[in-house]
Amino acid sequence: MSILIDDSTRVIVQGITGRIGSAQTQWMLAYGTKVVGGVTPGKGGATVEGVPVFDSVAEVVKETGANASVFFVPAASVLDAFLETIDAGIKLIVVVPEHIPVKDVLKMRSYAIEKGVFALGPTTPGILAPGKGKMGIMPASLFAPGRVGIISRSGTLSYEFAGILSENNVGQSTVVGMGADPVVLRNLADILELFEEDEGTDAVIVVGEVGGEQEEKAAGFISRRMSKPVAAYIAGRYSPQGKRMGHAGAIVRGSSGTVAGKHEALSSAGVEVLESPIHVARWAKKYKLR
Amino acid sequence: MRLHEYEALDIFEQNRIPVPRRGLAGTMHEALQIAGEIGYPVMLKAQVLVGGRGLAGGIKTASSPDELKEIADTLLTSEIKGLPVRKILVCEKVEIAKELYVGITVDSYSGKPVIVVSTEGGVLIEQTAKTSPEKIAAIHIDPSFGYYPYQARSLLRMLGLKQQLVTAWSDVIGQLFNIALRYEALIAEINPLVVLPNGGLLAIDAVLEVDDSALSRIRLPLPDRVDRIENPLERRGMEIGVTYVDLDGDIGLISSGAGLGMASMDIIGEKMKPANFLETGGGITADQLYRCMELIMMKPDLKAIFINVYGGINPIHEGAKGVVRYIKEHNVKIPIVAKALGNRQEETWEIFRSAGVHVVTEAATEKAVERLYELVGK
Repeated sequence: MSILIDDSTRVIVQGITGRIGSAQTQWMLAYGTKVVGGVTPGKGGATVEGVPVFDSVAEVVKETGANASVFFVPAASVLDAFLETIDAGIKLIVVVPEHIPVKDVLKMRSYAIEKGVFALGPTTPGILAPGKGKMGIMPASLFAPGRVGIISRSGTLSYEFAGILSENNVGQSTVVGMGADPVVLRNLADILELFEEDEGTDAVIVVGEVGGEQEEKAAGFISRRMSKPVAAYIAGRYSPQGKRMGHAGAIVRGSSGTVAGKHEALSSAGVEVLESPIHVARWAKKYKLR
Repeated sequence: MRLHEYEALDIFEQNRIPVPRRGLAGTMHEALQIAGEIGYPVMLKAQVLVGGRGLAGGIKTASSPDELKEIADTLLTSEIKGLPVRKILVCEKVEIAKELYVGITVDSYSGKPVIVVSTEGGVLIEQTAKTSPEKIAAIHIDPSFGYYPYQARSLLRMLGLKQQLVTAWSDVIGQLFNIALRYEALIAEINPLVVLPNGGLLAIDAVLEVDDSALSRIRLPLPDRVDRIENPLERRGMEIGVTYVDLDGDIGLISSGAGLGMASMDIIGEKMKPANFLETGGGITADQLYRCMELIMMKPDLKAIFINVYGGINPIHEGAKGVVRYIKEHNVKIPIVAKALGNRQEETWEIFRSAGVHVVTEAATEKAVERLYELVGK
């Protein structure tokens, strides 16, 4: 079992004719993902990596029965494409691009929640269910099938944690990038809930970072609702206060969102706080995870 | 991008928020001239992009030309929290009956803009929020429906204010919300919003931070954000499209992804000190990593370099070519450790090894940093 994607997931790639869109389509197909179509307005009728390209999302849904979409659309066009995708009835959307204006993200988030659409990102590596498929850019070589769920704010740190587990013969049920922007399309607690309900997941790792309130709010959910063991790592202990570190999600604002504050909130919710990524191997061993 | 106070005040004024008479001075003589036009006493405010400016001595009052000369000379040759004062804003000094606060920001958890007001404005606003929460009121705005004036009115009534102040203040809130929307502000704030003895309002300070991702469509008629960065290395980082933060250690760092970069710093920081934070984002090419090497090598006395990248969206084999080209052209002698995993990893390792880079093939950054520590030989 896995969350969000499984054997019935039929993926479309929006922005499939772009350089990144076409390269990543190739990697997704190579991993066994059912990529059934692509969309680039004006390029309908073409094929990319053997995948048919359509002019609109409504058309590709009608022709292929697609039920999920991954975005490689230029940041300035993401809002428009996102609303089109929701109106075409797709219920799972992965928004990979970075640098999308916050104003657009607020509208996307509000519309997705209103329409019952599960969306991830922006600035997410996507979702990967080992052995089943992937939507996004996660490099397949680091992942192995198993029963541990991973949720990460940072893309590359999700690979790091999966890689360490895989090297220690601990596989993953699903790895989810929730997005590194200050405002994301789904909050951490919503993704934790899916793992709690998933029969194929025995334990969950939360990979967070300094800034924002996601981990603090999730701690409340964990203590109320999670029966499965949860471990967490928070990056940014030595990050200079108030300096911008890459994407805006990692801004330290005042005392809220500090590493120490997150550690405290998570610990009191019964979460095992990992001081360094490599400690995840020891934690997995303790719970006999595989 | 954070705007200077004088830039934000201009925008506020254009949007019909009452602001003080003022002028921008780059020299003591300019300040003297502006003060002469406005009339004494005047406020002299250092224009530096940092918070807590007043408490750090960046805001002074001058009651006479002699006093102004002395203060202006001192301010214009000083630094506030490490930033040189290049300009000072000369403002009329007004009589204050009361100081209010109004701020608009994005509540990232709920995904909605939020308007925050307080009847206790001033430098201690954050303390007030903790000690007297009843003096603060906030309202979230639905991004689909937008802002309506009744929301500001009901917000202010929550603070128990009289109708005259509610009317004047809600107008300011409405204008500030329009500014936040139009300029895609992450923060738009007036602290304090002053009540004058005649009951009128005046914004005597202005904070505006606009969304970097929206800069190309807001089209601000202002200097580029690159020109606002004082540190030359950090400025160079922005020019080449990476995030660079200058630190005081001696281990150079290149990482793909902010989270991985921060984790690398945390792990390096256990036994050594990073000289910088550098995050490439998703745009790695051979040229980009060549320029990253050039940038981190600008710091003298580096002891070693750590490259920590993943090939998901990034073509790391291309990146490795850029690093190797730099090493060969500049005959780099300090040890370089690279952890590069993901798509086309084997090819990447071979390229790195061809220039003597120490390649670590395990996933845990701790293993690579251990290797780094051995090579630095502390």
